[in-house]
Amino acid sequence: MLLEAKGVSRAFGSFFAVRNADLTVNEGEIIGLIGPNGAGKSTFFNCLAGDVVPTAGTVSFDGVDLTRASPDVHARAGIGRTFQVPATFEDMSVLENVEVGAYLRHAHRSDARRRALEVLEITGLSNVRHQRARILGTPGRKRLEIARVLALQPRLMLLDEALAGLTPVEIRRAVELLRTIHGMGITLVIVEHIMEVIMTLAARVIVFNQGHVIAQGKPEDVVKDEGVIEAYLGRNHGKRRGRA
Amino acid sequence: MKITIPALLALLILFPFVLNDPFYQDIGVAVLLAAISASAWNIVGGYAGQVSVGHGMFFGIGAYVPLLVYQHGLWPPVIGVPIAMGLSVILAAAIGYPTFRLRGHYFSMATIAVAELIRIYVGTVDYLGAAIGLQGPAVGRGWWDLTFRGELPYYYIFLGVLAVVLYITFEVQRSRFGSYLRSIRANERAAASLGVPVRQTKLKALMLSAAFTSVAGSLYSIKTGFIDPESGFGLLVSVQMLITAALGGAGTLFGPLVGALILVPLQAATNTWFGGGGSGLTYILYGGIIVLLARFEPGGLYEFWHHLSIRWRARHAA
Repeated sequence: MLLEAKGVSRAFGSFFAVRNADLTVNEGEIIGLIGPNGAGKSTFFNCLAGDVVPTAGTVSFDGVDLTRASPDVHARAGIGRTFQVPATFEDMSVLENVEVGAYLRHAHRSDARRRALEVLEITGLSNVRHQRARILGTPGRKRLEIARVLALQPRLMLLDEALAGLTPVEIRRAVELLRTIHGMGITLVIVEHIMEVIMTLAARVIVFNQGHVIAQGKPEDVVKDEGVIEAYLGRNHGKRRGRA
Repeated sequence: MKITIPALLALLILFPFVLNDPFYQDIGVAVLLAAISASAWNIVGGYAGQVSVGHGMFFGIGAYVPLLVYQHGLWPPVIGVPIAMGLSVILAAAIGYPTFRLRGHYFSMATIAVAELIRIYVGTVDYLGAAIGLQGPAVGRGWWDLTFRGELPYYYIFLGVLAVVLYITFEVQRSRFGSYLRSIRANERAAASLGVPVRQTKLKALMLSAAFTSVAGSLYSIKTGFIDPESGFGLLVSVQMLITAALGGAGTLFGPLVGALILVPLQAATNTWFGGGGSGLTYILYGGIIVLLARFEPGGLYEFWHHLSIRWRARHAA
């Protein structure tokens, strides 16, 4: 088992954004994390990435407890993440952005640069490597975030709505890129609203609602689950389907 | 850029011979001192984006210790330079360690508070010369006292120190440390997610910056042979470093030097034009520069130049 989250809860005052959530991720899997807006996916995701310390529960990676560890310790352990709103380093060039990630495993500038150039080639950003990140559009920024994480040489990639805001053509390209990354032996956990992406990529889907995990399993089974339909479309819709 | 740097270098080396009047040479020395201080500030305030408004405390330590070792031990002031650097680094660690745990403006607030506390405290301690301050050797006992009659030796010593500071900054800029600093400035949360040890990196930057600022303070007091709490630890000392770097371009190698080349002669000119009646003009000048930078070009003149060159290239490509 690569990642294990046990009984993770995160409260903000008396409000529980995540309550008693469990997740196990095996090496080589692609897992989709879905749920309506405000379901607690991002908070749970931030608990896994070390950005938020859980109020209760544990997170361990490859047998090492990372529950209270900082994000940089998570990165060193082999967990890379992207952000829902792209957090590129705007005034740095695309190449420099990726180099920041590459420096984690390569202390020398020439080695880090070589790694960054390799990653830019894989992610199709070589032609804009000298441009500042701020001039890239949404697809470019999302791709740059993935490139930066890839430069970390992670074992697990946490992708927070990495495909949101892309056109259908861009989504197809991004899905291809994620397949390539998975082919490199990297495990993927994807938070995504675009069901087409989840259905195409994920072998297992976990559904969040109101801070709880309400269903998990194969994508084709999960989309038929009454609880999931109810969470997305409302109680009445679930009842009508039941009567039909 | 390929022509600009050698041209700037030639200008700096030949300046005292082109304008050999002591008045201009004095301005040249002041430009170099401001450039050293601002370049030192730039490491933490520019590259790492951690805006210190109290760097005068490191400048003050650097200025006081050489004259202190002279006054109480009759040692050459230059012996105090490494001692001051060490003390400044320790103080930087003491301030940075707790404040860098927090994000936002806490660091800036802490630096103002500590610098002001030190200034007020130093003004009350007789051993440190209290409000009157300390004096260095009036006449040099040897070259090691670094007391010269003319401005020329100071000019080249300061130029040498500036060259060292800029070279180290250049090396920092192209290293992993420099890359980490810029990523922290751009987005601390994203930097941490990429394995950047944010707090440790900021702390290292502050310590390096404090050491260089301390050297600038030492050069100042050794040259002038005098220091008091206001000229060492005063808020204006800190603000001048900040404004100089921001005007030229904070987070760029030559930005602080460009800022100093503009700001120091401008100050000298206002002092000459208005005499003693214009003593408060420096504050007005600084305030005006802050407003203009914030409104039109927060990246400073470097960024302005960058935008201009992009537009120029685009026009000529079309």
